[in-house]
Amino acid sequence: MSTITTKPEKTRVARPSDPSKPKPYGLIAEFETPAQIVKAAERVRDEGYKWWDCCTPFPVHGLDKAMGIRQTILPIIVFFMGLSGTCTAFILQAFTNASDWSFWAVVWVTGYPYLISGKPLLSTPAFIPVMFELTILFSALTTVGLMFAFNGLPQLYHPLFRSKRFRRASDDRFFVVIEARDPRYFRSRTAEFLKSLDPVAVEEVQD
Amino acid sequence: MIHAPATISLDARNIELGATGQLARRVCFVVAFVCLLAAILLPVTGVMKWPLFWRCWLQNWIFVLQIPLGALFFVFIQHLTKAGWSTVIRRPAEVLASNLNWLWIGFIPIAVLVLTGSAGKLLPWSDMAMLFEEAPAEAHLVEGKLAYLNVPFFMIRAVCYFAIWAFLGTWFLRASIRQGRDGGLASTRAMQKMAPPAAILFGLSITFAAFDWIMSLSPGWFSTMFGVYFFCGTATCGFSTIIIVCLLLQRNGYLVNLISREHYQDMGKFLFAFGMIFWAYIGFSQYMLIWYANIPEETGWFLARQLGDWGWLSIWLLFGHFCIPFVFLISKHPKRDWKTLMLAAGWMLFFGWLDVYWLVMPTIPHDLASFATYDAAAEAYASEKAGLLRPVNWLLMVGMLSLFAAVTIGRLRSHPLLCRKDPWLNNSLHFENY
Repeated sequence: MSTITTKPEKTRVARPSDPSKPKPYGLIAEFETPAQIVKAAERVRDEGYKWWDCCTPFPVHGLDKAMGIRQTILPIIVFFMGLSGTCTAFILQAFTNASDWSFWAVVWVTGYPYLISGKPLLSTPAFIPVMFELTILFSALTTVGLMFAFNGLPQLYHPLFRSKRFRRASDDRFFVVIEARDPRYFRSRTAEFLKSLDPVAVEEVQD
Repeated sequence: MIHAPATISLDARNIELGATGQLARRVCFVVAFVCLLAAILLPVTGVMKWPLFWRCWLQNWIFVLQIPLGALFFVFIQHLTKAGWSTVIRRPAEVLASNLNWLWIGFIPIAVLVLTGSAGKLLPWSDMAMLFEEAPAEAHLVEGKLAYLNVPFFMIRAVCYFAIWAFLGTWFLRASIRQGRDGGLASTRAMQKMAPPAAILFGLSITFAAFDWIMSLSPGWFSTMFGVYFFCGTATCGFSTIIIVCLLLQRNGYLVNLISREHYQDMGKFLFAFGMIFWAYIGFSQYMLIWYANIPEETGWFLARQLGDWGWLSIWLLFGHFCIPFVFLISKHPKRDWKTLMLAAGWMLFFGWLDVYWLVMPTIPHDLASFATYDAAAEAYASEKAGLLRPVNWLLMVGMLSLFAAVTIGRLRSHPLLCRKDPWLNNSLHFENY
């Protein structure tokens, strides 16, 4: 199967699309157990599909590996955003409390050397709690914000919602979804391949 | 389960140390004997003074004591939370914790010094006449604490700590071994029932022990957060040692395929959370309050750690105990690779030692606490040496650690290395991080 040469994508895309005709979104295959979906995921991964996903009612151990999901870059971005939070807090406090610089940012902003209980103006220990807080704040906002962005959320509609069968993905069934935009996707061949994975059912979903 | 580990073998070759380890144990005993003897010869032959020797002794003994205390915390926290993931690494931790039943021996010299009234240089409150003579201002402060800081009560408390620790340390090991023999749920339930009182007793005993043996070295000074700070030290040393023991066992062909990267990652998280972040958090909180309030009787303690060599040591401790390992261990990959995790655990164990050194070794010059003599004292103290390279530090550290290792190896040999009939075992074997 894996030796099939992919037809150029444009032959399919170039076909004039008829707006009245529904476009296919992809094929879904339904499985009954976590073990089955992990096995199926390994097969789909090895087949070379790129635009596909698994939908399960709960996190399944080892599924990430079976799907060959690359590690997310999010932690690295979060680390550097946290670091920038630390620096922001330090610069903010050093500027406002321990300097008399002025600069124009819409209005004039001026630092005010602020002597507190005889401590040196640039007292790092006093700055640390705020540095800590801004580190957490920047990291947390980055994590949540980018998690949404990377996952394409918020998304109020999804073609899979059309499938009645798919509703059980949030209850007791496990689904492999292969999207029509995958270069290896051919309706009949992909359906045949999915059937070879021994699912309960294979269904086509319209966009 | 989906991905069963390659082969899970519960036969004796994999989970019983048996005759192997005998050589390591002998080597450890010899090293311990040589080092401790050499260390004691230093003051006997007059190379160093006895008070300094006993201070070093106390420092190294507390360091070694932290290891089983941290291991005990690890053991009962698993039962407290009914943790399933940790079953495969619980036995080494239990064995480490069981060392609490003999480590009190190291306290005997200190007890003798206190009882014979010759501990004035180490624990100034035990010799009030001397304290009044040397530092009347501080003695006046300490006078108000004599209801707590007096020899009989001090000894009674020490006996209580040792009784609690010896009981808890051996009880959990024995219950676990009984469970391994009969495979019943009764012992598991008993351990889960014992965990909450163990947590309370542990928390109280280590807090007061830290007050007695470390904080009262400078009796004028006080910090209510000190017990928690000491707890961070026990967690650092305990978790590092559990990691090191597990890795050493696996590198030598035991517990193969039983402890996986997943377990190491979680132990790394424990070390990361308690040994680095919580330590820095508590250390900073303690420093911040005292620095901000700026009351001479409180700041003297930190001042003594900022003058001369000690200032560099404090900075080094901040970076070595927190900043560097924090960046090193923050990602999951170094926690999952045995080489990097071993490096991190060894590093943290050393800095656990340096932390105790930083706590115990500096002596506050009494005249720093008074405004009248402050400037002159600060100037005189600015050339103070930390004395980290003193041979006695290293001899005592290596000696006591080797003795600890020898006894631990002996105990590892006489019990299975795995809680093989634990009801959570299957859960633990298939544990995976998301």
